[in-house]
Amino acid sequence: MNEVILKTNNLTKKYKEFTALDNVSITISKGDIYGLIGRNGAGKTTLMKLITTLTNPTSGEFELFGEGENNITENKRRIGCLIENPSFFPNLTAYENLKYYAIQKGIVNFNQIDESLKLVGLEDAVHKKFKNFSLGMKQRLGIAFAILDNPDFIILDEPINGLDPIGISDLRETFKRLNEEKKITILISSHILSELYAVATRFCIIENGRVIKELSKEELDIECSKCVVIQTDNIKKAAIILEKELKTTNYKVIDKKEIRLYEYLDQISKISKALTKNDISILGLYETGITLEEYFKSVIKEAN
Amino acid sequence: MINMIKADLYRIFKGKAIYISCLIIIGLSLVSIIGLTPGHIGMTSMTNSTMNIEDAEFMEKLSDANNLKDIRDLMKSFGGYELDQAVLGTNINLYYIFIVVVVIVICTDFSNKSIKNTLSSAISRKKYYWSKAAIIFLICTFLVLLNNYLFYFMNLLINGKNFASSFIDISKTTLIQCPLIYGIMSLLICFAFLFKKVASFNTISIPFIMVFQLIVYGMINLFRIKADWFYQYEIQNALGNLANHPTNQYILNCTLLGIFYIVIFSIIGYYVFKQTEVK
Repeated sequence: MNEVILKTNNLTKKYKEFTALDNVSITISKGDIYGLIGRNGAGKTTLMKLITTLTNPTSGEFELFGEGENNITENKRRIGCLIENPSFFPNLTAYENLKYYAIQKGIVNFNQIDESLKLVGLEDAVHKKFKNFSLGMKQRLGIAFAILDNPDFIILDEPINGLDPIGISDLRETFKRLNEEKKITILISSHILSELYAVATRFCIIENGRVIKELSKEELDIECSKCVVIQTDNIKKAAIILEKELKTTNYKVIDKKEIRLYEYLDQISKISKALTKNDISILGLYETGITLEEYFKSVIKEAN
Repeated sequence: MINMIKADLYRIFKGKAIYISCLIIIGLSLVSIIGLTPGHIGMTSMTNSTMNIEDAEFMEKLSDANNLKDIRDLMKSFGGYELDQAVLGTNINLYYIFIVVVVIVICTDFSNKSIKNTLSSAISRKKYYWSKAAIIFLICTFLVLLNNYLFYFMNLLINGKNFASSFIDISKTTLIQCPLIYGIMSLLICFAFLFKKVASFNTISIPFIMVFQLIVYGMINLFRIKADWFYQYEIQNALGNLANHPTNQYILNCTLLGIFYIVIFSIIGYYVFKQTEVK
């Protein structure tokens, strides 16, 4: 059984009347690249802030590396973080900023600073002051800070914001390499679904502070896979026909007028025959596949 | 905690603020040495008791003097007095230097949001608070010693023995002022964790002593309150009195007052910080 890195149990955060996080229970195992998906204000950053003790939960608890939140101090060095925007001392250079944190973390070998900067492609900006950095460079320095101490678990909040396409691609490879070669577990949030899909192995969709879907990459692939869309004004009867005549339960009711069938992809006429034979009026019948965005929208719509 | 202190010292000595603070201390010392009178701040005025000069007519002439040269000539004609002790009596001036130290040690962390990096992946809030307090105590102690002993030796060198007390007396005054000075540091640390950002902290802490004195003195006068204890133990007066041959009882009372300030402001600051959401 895989070692559990993070386990949250009904984690809730309230700001007066507003509930930012509502009974969130997730488990992240060693080796996962766990993608947090959610709209602005969905609760992704709040969850990350709670895990990193930047804020206290209203109720609920969490365990990091098997230790409760009151005993995680000793394990803090095993975490690398980039929460919200990268924040460093503006008058220090990239190297000096990382050296400050290296001393703070008790790192003796300062070569790690150069390695981290090289890994994120900042080797040419080592002696440039942080205040003169572009947004993308700041983001890279934030990631260099997160991986500075060879952590076991990296928490990255929107790490690719402000990066150019090549930078995004480079970082994607870096994350994958860190995960595969060093077995680093990664919790990552992003608005760019395609990028998250390209790197994550498990996904968690958050909406209004609640976890509305948790699924693996394989499950997501199935959810987004090709299907036959059946549009009719009698969903209930259509579903019965699918089960009785076509002997399948591999379908999903999307709304009052739409069913998605994940079998009989090349046999649309057979589906049509079965439905018309039973006096079901067909408003639409076609084959389709949904994009990540469409899937995300449909899950959000379902939850609301 | 030691790593945190080492890291902050590395950062602070990479910046300019600490060196500027040292230069300001040296500059203020030179002004006092050349003028042969201590400078002061706050609502309370420099009194002859602080300078330990009883001659009222002389003090009046001193007040009328227009420039440093006139003051220096007047003071030299007077003969001499313990200028170094008088300067130590105005150590409340260091309050403003301490503000600079607290800003560079704590408030920049909040303003730059770099505190998130430390708390999320290095140390606990408890260690963070006490490390920061330790660094401030350490640097401010260095600045107090620089202020007191640099002045002592420079004054001895430039103005001679007539305007200096003994090394032991200076050391004694330095020591007995410590609890109140650490009390001031604790107050500023508490303010830093309460107000966090540089601008808010400065807005509150810079005028604090003067506003506090203004309000209390105003109330005392308005309601005709008998407040000898306040005049004696108000922090600016107390530091002045401690440099003016105080009684053992007074030293003890000021020590207890200093310890009270340290404990109460540390508890408030730590409690507030523990509950704070780091943004």
